[in-house]
Amino acid sequence: MSDHVPEPLLELRGVHAAYGSIEVLGGVDLSVPPGTVVALLGPNGAGKTTALKVASGQMVPTKGSVFVAGRDVTGVAPEELARRGLTTIPEGRGIFPNLTVRENLQMATYAGVPLGRVEEVAYERFPRLKERRSQLAGTMSGGEQQMLAMARGLAVEPKVLLLDELSMGLAPLVVEELYGIVAAIARSGTSILVVEQFARTVLGVADVAAIMVNGAVRRVGTPSQVEHELSTAYLGG
Amino acid sequence: MRTFLTATIGGLSTAAIYAITASGLVVTYTTSGVFNFAHGAFSMMAAFMYWQVHVAWGVPTLPAIVLVVFVVAPLFGALIERVIMRGIEGTSEVVKIVVTVSLFVALLGLANVIWPPTQSYTVLPFFNNAALSIFGVKVGWARLIALAVALAVAGGLRFVFTSTRLGIAMRAVVDDRSLLQLNGGRPGRTSMLSWAIGAGLAAIAGVLLAGEQTLSATTLSLLVINAYAVAVVGRLRSLPGVFVGSVILGLLVAYGQQYVSSEAAIGPVSLSGAVTAIPAVMLFVVMVLQPQDRLEARGATRVPTAARMPSMKLALWGGLAFVLVTAALGNLIAGPDLFKVAGGYLFALVMLSLVPLTGYAGQISLAQMTFTGIGAVAMAAWGASGSPLAVVASVLLCAVVGAVVALPALRLSGIYLALATAAFGLFCSAMVFNQQDVMPGLSRQVPRLALGPFKISSDYQQLVLLAVTFALVGIGLVALRRSAWGRRLAAMKDSPVACATLGLNLTATKVAVFALSAAIAGLAGSLAGRTFISDEFGLPASLPVTMLAVVGGIGSVAGAFMGGIFLGAFPIASTVFAANAIGVFRFVSLPVTDLVAFAPGATGVSLGREPDGAAPQMAAGFRAVGESVPSLVVSFAGFAALWLLARLDVVGGWAFVAAVLVFVLAVVPLLPLLFNPEDMGRKLATGIFVGLCTVVTVFIPWDTAIASNGMRALVIVLWAVLVVRTAIGVHGAVPDVVPRGPRTSPDMVGIDTPLTRADAVDAGRVLGIDEDELDLVTGRSQ
Repeated sequence: MSDHVPEPLLELRGVHAAYGSIEVLGGVDLSVPPGTVVALLGPNGAGKTTALKVASGQMVPTKGSVFVAGRDVTGVAPEELARRGLTTIPEGRGIFPNLTVRENLQMATYAGVPLGRVEEVAYERFPRLKERRSQLAGTMSGGEQQMLAMARGLAVEPKVLLLDELSMGLAPLVVEELYGIVAAIARSGTSILVVEQFARTVLGVADVAAIMVNGAVRRVGTPSQVEHELSTAYLGG
Repeated sequence: MRTFLTATIGGLSTAAIYAITASGLVVTYTTSGVFNFAHGAFSMMAAFMYWQVHVAWGVPTLPAIVLVVFVVAPLFGALIERVIMRGIEGTSEVVKIVVTVSLFVALLGLANVIWPPTQSYTVLPFFNNAALSIFGVKVGWARLIALAVALAVAGGLRFVFTSTRLGIAMRAVVDDRSLLQLNGGRPGRTSMLSWAIGAGLAAIAGVLLAGEQTLSATTLSLLVINAYAVAVVGRLRSLPGVFVGSVILGLLVAYGQQYVSSEAAIGPVSLSGAVTAIPAVMLFVVMVLQPQDRLEARGATRVPTAARMPSMKLALWGGLAFVLVTAALGNLIAGPDLFKVAGGYLFALVMLSLVPLTGYAGQISLAQMTFTGIGAVAMAAWGASGSPLAVVASVLLCAVVGAVVALPALRLSGIYLALATAAFGLFCSAMVFNQQDVMPGLSRQVPRLALGPFKISSDYQQLVLLAVTFALVGIGLVALRRSAWGRRLAAMKDSPVACATLGLNLTATKVAVFALSAAIAGLAGSLAGRTFISDEFGLPASLPVTMLAVVGGIGSVAGAFMGGIFLGAFPIASTVFAANAIGVFRFVSLPVTDLVAFAPGATGVSLGREPDGAAPQMAAGFRAVGESVPSLVVSFAGFAALWLLARLDVVGGWAFVAAVLVFVLAVVPLLPLLFNPEDMGRKLATGIFVGLCTVVTVFIPWDTAIASNGMRALVIVLWAVLVVRTAIGVHGAVPDVVPRGPRTSPDMVGIDTPLTRADAVDAGRVLGIDEDELDLVTGRSQ
């Protein structure tokens, strides 16, 4: 290739990972170029969430390495990565249920953005959160909780954003709204890696889609390229 | 009016101290999820430390306070978090409770070693007890200071936990540790800080208390019960609740002291201990008033290995062998030693009562000795002739009392049961066992059992009786575990939520198993056949029982025996080794007897590293030796060296036996692990430790130190087991050498992970179905 390929912001190279003695990832290669949305798709148990855990530093790979902005960060603690601009919103409401909305937002300030700014961005985008700012986050509806989690991803202006199963257990309308926000965050220049099991919702926003099966990335391409392969991957045809 | 005012002001200042203690408790609980039973022991250590710095070393008041409260205590708290509490994250509630209870016992032992209770320790109150006159009532400055400090603490904590990022992060850690990390917070440091704050608050209370009374380690440590009562008002979480509770308790106690004279009595019941019992009563009343807990679907994330279920055949033969070995060994022992060994068997029987409760059902009790006491006293009252009918009646009484005690707590979460039983233990000490009619002169002789014409008349017969009882109850428990009801208990332990959805009445099941447990403890008391003093039924006596039962491995009958013998062995060990302390441990300034004082607590604390208990760990080690060539070589070389030493008469015959035993039990099973290249530092420490222990064993003059052969054999076995236990503690969890795959929660099998044969076998083991039976059940053949 003669074209200049921009250095990816997040890259997994030959990552192997295991829970105990059971290997879950067997050599995953994945890269997220600057300013793109990459969707990581695949059936249950394919290793998507594990790949995300390796990327966010929550799991140390048994083999292979993780690069953020060209620097090897394999084995760096998740809190350090978070402070350096890699924000992760984990599966199933990334919020603290026993803290108020405002206190939840305050926890986002570890990434370096002052509380005033975080609140401003969050309330502007989600006026509902402002109404509920002194309510315990755990008492809000599922959609509102996910909004709060997204507000963090939005407000800390990360370089890389990792999202795990955003749509899980939410009404289709809410999912659509959340993905609208994902698109908005992407437009501001953040690179995003989205893990999803239900592919349709995410393909509209993604620039690149990767299909993972049995602990390895089987296919990478544009959403339209991979779409027809999805059913075989899911149904094991 | 004047006395009322005095009592009120006195009560408020006591309330201030309760509030400070309880807020420390609540702070550590809300920020680490661990309910610190050792909180009072932290206060006690601080009070003694303050005495040491201020009185013994002559440091002026203010620098002494700063040193104790702001330097030593926070460092100590942070250290405890780093070394102990971090290790028990994600374990079951029982392990958490037992680890902090062990810490309590260990600190109590340590304090008794550093500041021997034979001496008296007094600290002058602040400003030499100068007083101020308010409404014509003289109030000491010390009390005013306590009030001011409590208000400052309340304000300070409120500010920290709602307005600072650090304080909010401390609360966030409990909600979701890994999410805090993903936010960029540092949970490790946050937890250390919250333990530092908790310990600091405990220290403030300790220093304030130091001026109030002559320092006593036990009294100060047990003051924590007051803090429990107060904390329960706020459901263990709310600081305003703590302050309301403190005022109520402070005033109740003050008015009680003022208006209830020590000679007061209702009919024959003396009220001399009533004031001491107030916190316990308050705890119960508050608990009854609490609404039932919601069930929460959260299990321990570190699922302990399921204990192997012995088959009925094994249980029957094991029981028979156990009785025969006891009878043979007992024959070799004579005199007072026999009495001590019987004491160990009695403890083993009491611990057996925890097998269904804690091991099968996952509930906890901190007052088993109290039930033993009730059984003993009932037997003494009803069965002077040793009638078996009186035994039955005593056991039934204990079952009923147990059910009544457990009922209010069981509607709430596991921690409340621990609190309720602790309070019950304290209540009985204050109101039951000190009554003249119940224990005249604070002691009572339990008559020995008579079966028709045959009456137990010697210590030896008594020992055999205990062994037979232990074997029968043990067999019964194995049968119970294999029955439908036993499977129900196991299911309840695994997932209360799942059981509730299946229509199982959780409260009824828990009450039944608690009653059973109390009945077994009562049985131990009614069959004890010896004289008890009231202290043996107190809370400080019950705590080591629960602790060592869990240490021994509470899932199994054998574990209970191991724990019981352990507890019985400590007094034996201290008498045996006292004479030789200088000779053996010349290089250590601590005499062995002192080590014995806090060794039980220390072994309990080590549980944090391997929550399964000792018995399963040893079994795993042996299986791996055959697979490792260097281990086999070292094993044989070790035996050869020992044999050579004995042959050349360098070591005596008994020392050879002891060393071989230590080598077989402690060194050999650890070898495969020591040759594993991971985590070298800890491996080296463990290696050096077991090596030293073997050398020490060789040089203990076994032949001369102990007179009788049976006793010597027993002590040697105990010593070997103690070495093993400590070695496991030094090393940390012994991982399964045979890879078993990830221990996913059983809830997720079949959903997130496929159901494999191993899962089925695991499930079968929990349900008491053997692997070969499993195929019959599922109708599949291999």
